[in-house]
Amino acid sequence: MRASRIIAIAQRKFSSIRRDKRMFAFIIIMPAIQIILFGLAIGATPSNLEVNVVGENAVIEQLKESENLVINEFEDIDTAKEGVSDGKAWAVIQANGTGVKIYLDASNQQISQTILSEVRGAIEKTSPIGLPIEIAEPIFGDKEPRYIDFLAPGIMVLVCFMFSIILTTMSFVSERTDGTLDRVFAAGVTPLEVMLGHLLAFSTVLIGQVSVVILIAMLGFDIPIHGSIVLLFTLGLLLGLAAMCLGLFLSSKASSEFQAMQLTMPIMFPALLLSGILWPVEALPNWLLPISWILPTTWAAEAFRSVMIRGWGLEADIVWGAILVIGAFGVLTISAAAKSLKLRS
Amino acid sequence: MAVVVKGIHRSYGALKVLKGIDLEAEKSSIYGLLGPSGCGKTTLLNIILGRLIPESGEAHTPPQIPGSGVGYSPQELALYEDLSVIENLLFHGRIHGMNKQEILLNSAQLLELLDLPESTKQVKKLSGGQKRRVSLAIALLHHPPLLLLDEPTVGVDPELRQRIWKYLRQVADNGTTVIITTHYIDEARRADRVGLMRDGVLLAESAPDDLLKKYSTSSLEEVFLKLCSRGEEE
Repeated sequence: MRASRIIAIAQRKFSSIRRDKRMFAFIIIMPAIQIILFGLAIGATPSNLEVNVVGENAVIEQLKESENLVINEFEDIDTAKEGVSDGKAWAVIQANGTGVKIYLDASNQQISQTILSEVRGAIEKTSPIGLPIEIAEPIFGDKEPRYIDFLAPGIMVLVCFMFSIILTTMSFVSERTDGTLDRVFAAGVTPLEVMLGHLLAFSTVLIGQVSVVILIAMLGFDIPIHGSIVLLFTLGLLLGLAAMCLGLFLSSKASSEFQAMQLTMPIMFPALLLSGILWPVEALPNWLLPISWILPTTWAAEAFRSVMIRGWGLEADIVWGAILVIGAFGVLTISAAAKSLKLRS
Repeated sequence: MAVVVKGIHRSYGALKVLKGIDLEAEKSSIYGLLGPSGCGKTTLLNIILGRLIPESGEAHTPPQIPGSGVGYSPQELALYEDLSVIENLLFHGRIHGMNKQEILLNSAQLLELLDLPESTKQVKKLSGGQKRRVSLAIALLHHPPLLLLDEPTVGVDPELRQRIWKYLRQVADNGTTVIITTHYIDEARRADRVGLMRDGVLLAESAPDDLLKKYSTSSLEEVFLKLCSRGEEE
């Protein structure tokens, strides 16, 4: 293996990347848009929820102060319920002694949760003894955890992973079919040198991409990062590199760019659904857990969350475990990629 | 002898592409491999290049192949279209371990010889014939002892084609072995030795003049036709 050849390949590839303005936009702007959309669309508390109330007591009075509920008062329960049946309100809350009775339109779980949480809050404030539980300052995270704080690390992982795969998958197919790779092999370059050269060229882009993702999360959405940003950046970089190795592998198998895109699909969805990005892995059925924990994205998402919310560092099992698993995944896939580019057949 | 190929058989799946090829190309000579598309020329070049492994038979080649022992110009243009001419040349020079000065010097000579426009022009803005010549320049850049050129004159005008052959003669005289495939059968008269190939078989291999004499014709095209009709009679 010759470093000079790897560098020559990297330089050549980098010149191409730099010149391709659309590609450049794709690399930097698309991840930014993704992150921004996720931040805007997901995790905020639903508001302006129409709620019909019947009767009066302290709890109902307190509910009128809510920022998220719009309270409509009714005389009788049947008309109030009709409003829900007609889809004009999400719930009927009826005074019931010092408490309340709730009739929900439970078709939307997040909205039901929000209404119940508002009611609980009102009871806590109006009851002379409060609720018989006291939530102390959490050991990690906020007293009122936001879904976005859970989601953001996962989405950052997903964006780093996805865009790195797409980038490498797309950009390598044509080299295999237009004869340029044949010429490079005729010059004595080995498949591994080709792969490492590409990886080196793309890693320059990756630095920009990971920085954008972290910066938007931090500055745009006020996502707390309690741990080391350098560590977070390193984890993102490592994950991106591993994803690029996988992209190069897919690229070495595909016969056209369209096919390469198709090959990425069966990877995106498991990565999204089995890695604890949208929902905790603890909720997965037991038989799926081993599959989840061989995905580098599962480790990355957990490690991101641990660094960002818990403020953990390298000493944590999940963090160095993630580095190990993601690193191993990268080495494995790039070896497979080099092997599948046959020098002799 | 620089390149000796003996009894090569090679198939792709059930399709037999080469059916026992023998070929000898002397050092400092031009060997023209002729035949229609799909006759197995490119497969044979890839075996000489070491990319394809024959099922039987053997190919003896000079050392460092693949590597700097060979200059290869594939049938496709095999250029990085988004880069400039000189960037393409610099890249290939570097993977052959040449230094920048050396690359620039050799490139300047080749660009002038091949009548190519300014080297900073992006390859995708060149005409088809110009691209073909850049592709050829890359193969010649590091002065390899063996040149394998797969259809280097496709789409190149006759005058320039003549210049390319003249240059190949010059490098051959300086010790390079040139193996060139073409389907312009008559341009191969300029080779020292030609092999006429059809359906994975070498119908004849000889100096062009000897072939013309033997079949008493004035063009290699006619020799080829005679050999083909004879093959069909058999």
